[in-house]
Amino acid sequence: MTAFDNAIEIKGVTKRYYGFTLDSISFDVPKGCIMGFIGQNGAGKTTTIRSLLHITDIDSGEIRLLGLDHIKDETAVKKRIAVVFDELPFHDVFTAKDMARIFEGMYPEWDNTVYQKYLERFQLPVKKKIGQFSKGMKMKLQIACALSHNAELLIMDEATTGLDPVVRDEILHIFMEYLQNGERSILMSSHITSDLEKIADMVTFIDKGKILLTGYKDEIIEQHGILKCDKEKLAEIDAEDIVSIRLNNFGAEVMVHDRENASYKYRDCVIDPASLDDIMLYYVHRDVKEWS
Amino acid sequence: MKLYRSLIFRELKLTRKRFLLMLILFILLSLLMLTPIMLGGLSGTSEMNEDLLSIVIFASGVVTLTGGFLAGTNNGLQKADINSGWKRYSFVLPATAKQQALSDLLVKLMLILLFGLLSAAFALVCITVSGINTAAEGFNPVCMMLNTYLGAVCAVMLIDIAYSYILMFANDKNQLKIIGVIAFVGAGVVLRVFDLFPGMNNDEKSAKDGALISQEMVNKFETVLYSEKTLLCISAVFVVICILFFLAMWRSHERREP
Repeated sequence: MTAFDNAIEIKGVTKRYYGFTLDSISFDVPKGCIMGFIGQNGAGKTTTIRSLLHITDIDSGEIRLLGLDHIKDETAVKKRIAVVFDELPFHDVFTAKDMARIFEGMYPEWDNTVYQKYLERFQLPVKKKIGQFSKGMKMKLQIACALSHNAELLIMDEATTGLDPVVRDEILHIFMEYLQNGERSILMSSHITSDLEKIADMVTFIDKGKILLTGYKDEIIEQHGILKCDKEKLAEIDAEDIVSIRLNNFGAEVMVHDRENASYKYRDCVIDPASLDDIMLYYVHRDVKEWS
Repeated sequence: MKLYRSLIFRELKLTRKRFLLMLILFILLSLLMLTPIMLGGLSGTSEMNEDLLSIVIFASGVVTLTGGFLAGTNNGLQKADINSGWKRYSFVLPATAKQQALSDLLVKLMLILLFGLLSAAFALVCITVSGINTAAEGFNPVCMMLNTYLGAVCAVMLIDIAYSYILMFANDKNQLKIIGVIAFVGAGVVLRVFDLFPGMNNDEKSAKDGALISQEMVNKFETVLYSEKTLLCISAVFVVICILFFLAMWRSHERREP
């Protein structure tokens, strides 16, 4: 087995569609990490995930999963990864028991005991047809299948979207447990930043097919801040410090990408910490600079 | 081996209902065809013998032909996989395109074998019930049955290959609908074009003008149908079509989304 430091390595990946380009994106997911992949709808999250899973071919660039080439070593890679999509891709006529029969032949490390434990934990009926499951149950089943073959890398595309907060919390908790041995990694795309704020070690922001930010979540949150000032003071703020400005009736809220530096430079202004949601919002409007 | 067991289990489980319907249809047709033979065979009169032979040949032919059509026809799996999202999901599974295509072929062969055996069993029952001595009548039921069966299977499998190839371009439900409409219109256009060729359209010729197919043609057809050489040729064609089917399915599983 190849030794690797990064579970995912994406270098200069470009994929062109009519009206959209995934523009030479690069980022890594270190081993043992949960990477949150954030962006608004249509930003390129799903295209990136489909590219790295070789669901679609890329135009240029290099992708390595678990230290292996995503195309040349495709079969070897796919035995060691698990994928959860936003919708259950299993046929309605199957039962949870049938899925075990299907997957045990496909994955050499499929463990029926682990699968049973997940089914019991999620309170999923073994013999009920999947077509009769609720959305939450379907997602839980998909996760149970994904976690039962000792996958070293779990890739999720909007897996928690559309689920109620209780189910989401339960699922996030299971992901945390799953990572405990330090050998496993997760790439989790979502536009629900609160989920990622809870569990992600690292985050990558994507917008209009370009990576805007990638790094450790705490560092990113630490570095960014929302500076609050009136419109007169706004003119004094250095353009280099600004990500974008949100105007309101009372003044302006400015996202700064170096909070510490800004707190020295603009001592008479209040700088609040930014959440991932704020960061995404201000970065998305970076081109217009001023928005309301 | 374990992998193929999983793939085949999935395919059989998904196509179970369709298979059962086909089986019921086949059994009903067989019973329907068997009734006059049983009645004729039980009557035991010598005048009936010649008619009975024709009935046996006709009944076996119809049942075998139906069996061949049912066995060779598309099992709807590709369409179901596109609708459920499994097609996309299959790209992230460790099973290679070649392994999936081989499992598709194995399931198809299993079905062909099953309906082949059922058709053979029907022919055997017909001959036994009617009490016809096939050797004395100079009639080789095995050859006739296999030629008819494999011929039907090959014809339907060819259509299935074309259909599967078209379906390959659909990635989701919406594309499936668009492709379905295009294929439907395309088939209509092809039929219309064929109709324009001289000799293809015999609508103006009525039964009053005499037999559409001459006795000479019928005899020729019978000779071809009972010939062992035909069996050899059809078997070779069947092998080629199986290879083509495998290649079409392989390409279908291998093709990535645009």
